[in-house]
Amino acid sequence: MTKKKNRFTVGWLYPDLMNIYGDRGNILTLLKRAEWRGLDARAIDLGRGAAHGMEDVDVFFFGGGQDREQALVYDDLIEIKQEPLEAAVANGSVVLAVCGGYQLLGHYYQTAEGERFPGIGLIDVRTEAGKKRFIGDVVVDTTLEDLKPTTLVGFENHSGRTFLGAGARALGRVRVGSGNNGGDGTEGCVQGGVVGTYLHGSLLPKNPHLADYLIRRALSRRGMAELAPLDDSIELAAHAKILERAQPRAGER
Amino acid sequence: MRRTAAVWAGKATGALSRLSGRGGGTTLPGDVARAIDPTILRKLTGDLTEGSILITGTNGKTTTARLLTSIFEGMGKRVVSNRAGANLIFGATAAALRSAGPDGKLRADWGVFEIDEASLPRAVEEIQPRIAIVLNLFRDQLDRYGELEKIAKTIEAALESIPEGAQAVLNADDPRVGEIGLGLARTPLWFGIEDPVVAMRKLPHAADARTCPKCGASLRFSAVYLGHDGIYECPNGDFARPSPGVAATDIALQGFDSVGMNIGETRVELPVGGLYNAYNAVAAFAAGTVLGVDGQYMAERMHGFTAAFGRQEKMDFRGRRLVLVLSKNPAGFNETLRTAVDMAGATHFILGLNDRKADGTDVSWIWDVDFEQLAGRAQVVVPAGTRAHDLAVRLKYAGVEARPPQTEPGRALDDLISVTPEGATAHILCTYTAMLDIRAELVRRGWAKPYWET
Repeated sequence: MTKKKNRFTVGWLYPDLMNIYGDRGNILTLLKRAEWRGLDARAIDLGRGAAHGMEDVDVFFFGGGQDREQALVYDDLIEIKQEPLEAAVANGSVVLAVCGGYQLLGHYYQTAEGERFPGIGLIDVRTEAGKKRFIGDVVVDTTLEDLKPTTLVGFENHSGRTFLGAGARALGRVRVGSGNNGGDGTEGCVQGGVVGTYLHGSLLPKNPHLADYLIRRALSRRGMAELAPLDDSIELAAHAKILERAQPRAGER
Repeated sequence: MRRTAAVWAGKATGALSRLSGRGGGTTLPGDVARAIDPTILRKLTGDLTEGSILITGTNGKTTTARLLTSIFEGMGKRVVSNRAGANLIFGATAAALRSAGPDGKLRADWGVFEIDEASLPRAVEEIQPRIAIVLNLFRDQLDRYGELEKIAKTIEAALESIPEGAQAVLNADDPRVGEIGLGLARTPLWFGIEDPVVAMRKLPHAADARTCPKCGASLRFSAVYLGHDGIYECPNGDFARPSPGVAATDIALQGFDSVGMNIGETRVELPVGGLYNAYNAVAAFAAGTVLGVDGQYMAERMHGFTAAFGRQEKMDFRGRRLVLVLSKNPAGFNETLRTAVDMAGATHFILGLNDRKADGTDVSWIWDVDFEQLAGRAQVVVPAGTRAHDLAVRLKYAGVEARPPQTEPGRALDDLISVTPEGATAHILCTYTAMLDIRAELVRRGWAKPYWET
């Protein structure tokens, strides 16, 4: 195996600004789980102004930020990142986007006053501002193929309502929590190699099966389809604990 | 009279709550009295002969309030203070009720109130403080407070409305607090730390609020003391740390035993450790300076200081020594870990994480804490609390070998004791209610006093 082939690269979009909900947990999980499979794992920071090395990224991560920070990355995303990101995804790279990052990858975000901020349209979703904030534990029955367990667990905290277009399918159906919009029972989206979701907590540490799905999918474009199994008992115990604890919230379904 | 009825009803509630053993009656009496007379806090604090000090910020409120209380009490003043972390408006009201006489009048000189960030506007309006202290603004409990930016704006509006002649005392080293203070119509008194020796070069993962309020550029730090607090400037020259009028220099850190510093001409030795306590000391010192209190006198009072419940509380149990250290958010946890590992040589731990309302129901912040500091250095780590299983995962990815997660505090203590040799010291780092749980278990076993007695 050549050195380059053995490498696994995570591209962290705006780690300093879009990192509000412990998103570092997603990065650590991807890196460690690749490392434990003998890969030479590293993360590159894709802050404002940076686009170097995006073509080598296996998995991009795009987290959530506060309004102030989200406004600061907006121009950079469109001017500097959009093109190389689209190219990498077309080439088989995988993207995990959470909360604010998820919204920015869609067609637009519409404020309560009706003003529209265009996203980069990488996924067929649109988001509108809502009044009530959805906050709490979430349990999702996922529709992703071959995922075991078939549940995803996390925590949501968002007021945006996201609606899926025909090009995107839901990451899963909400069992506990509100999900995309609190109305249609969907949570997150999957479109090719892009996964968007409102789940943090962090998401991947308690959902190691989803982490492996992303890693496997990214590596498959380089002809590496098999991942050695790991002992996930600690991760899955934490996953099971949420399934056991998460109760439907008052005033919701 | 409505006021007298409110005071009596509140006091009766507090007595019942303590008698029933349901806790210290630290907030419920406030609810009851306010229901009878919504202006009760305004009336009671109006009786104070000297006035009030309000303390807000993410970390350090309780310790700073206790430092100031000790300074005033040493001067023979009667102080009303909302202890035990009851820092919403109800807690402040309950504290005032406890010191009120049968005629409904408050018999005290000073009010020293720690106030939850979101409650500051209401507290300013009702209490009409002479001094308002803002310690820092870290990311904390996003599920409850919303985003940091919203809190910052709330605090800014509250500070604009403090009475004429009142003084804002602000942390110059915190960029978000700096931004608030530089926007105020009246000049605040800035405090801070000036000591390159204790500074880190790089921002930790827990850092936030690091961009210039004017041009949006990422701030440049020449020193980082704690979280995002340090010496910062905008690379385009649009914004910079204000120069502190009261600064701590020549800092000497001794684990959890003490922290020493020079403030102006005065040497201050505080018998609790950690750089974060240097901030609490310099904040209290700055407030005292505003009031013309003698520096040497303040240093003496600080030297005899005792920590509040769960804040570096030390106790002996079965021939072992326990140190309880409240650690409630990324900035705080990183500092208590750093102090424990780097300076106190700690090797045995219970780490406690709860997700009740007072802790924050969203525990994702543990991924911003550098538990990696424990790897290869901690010998025993027991993950505890309602979210012990999340901590266990976090520790695994930090390369830290941990014991099995224990959601029952008694079992966590038993497990710790079973692997901690006699004569050794164990550190218990917990979020707020996880600390309450562990402490309640220690009380039950006769190793600690109930918290309303401390």
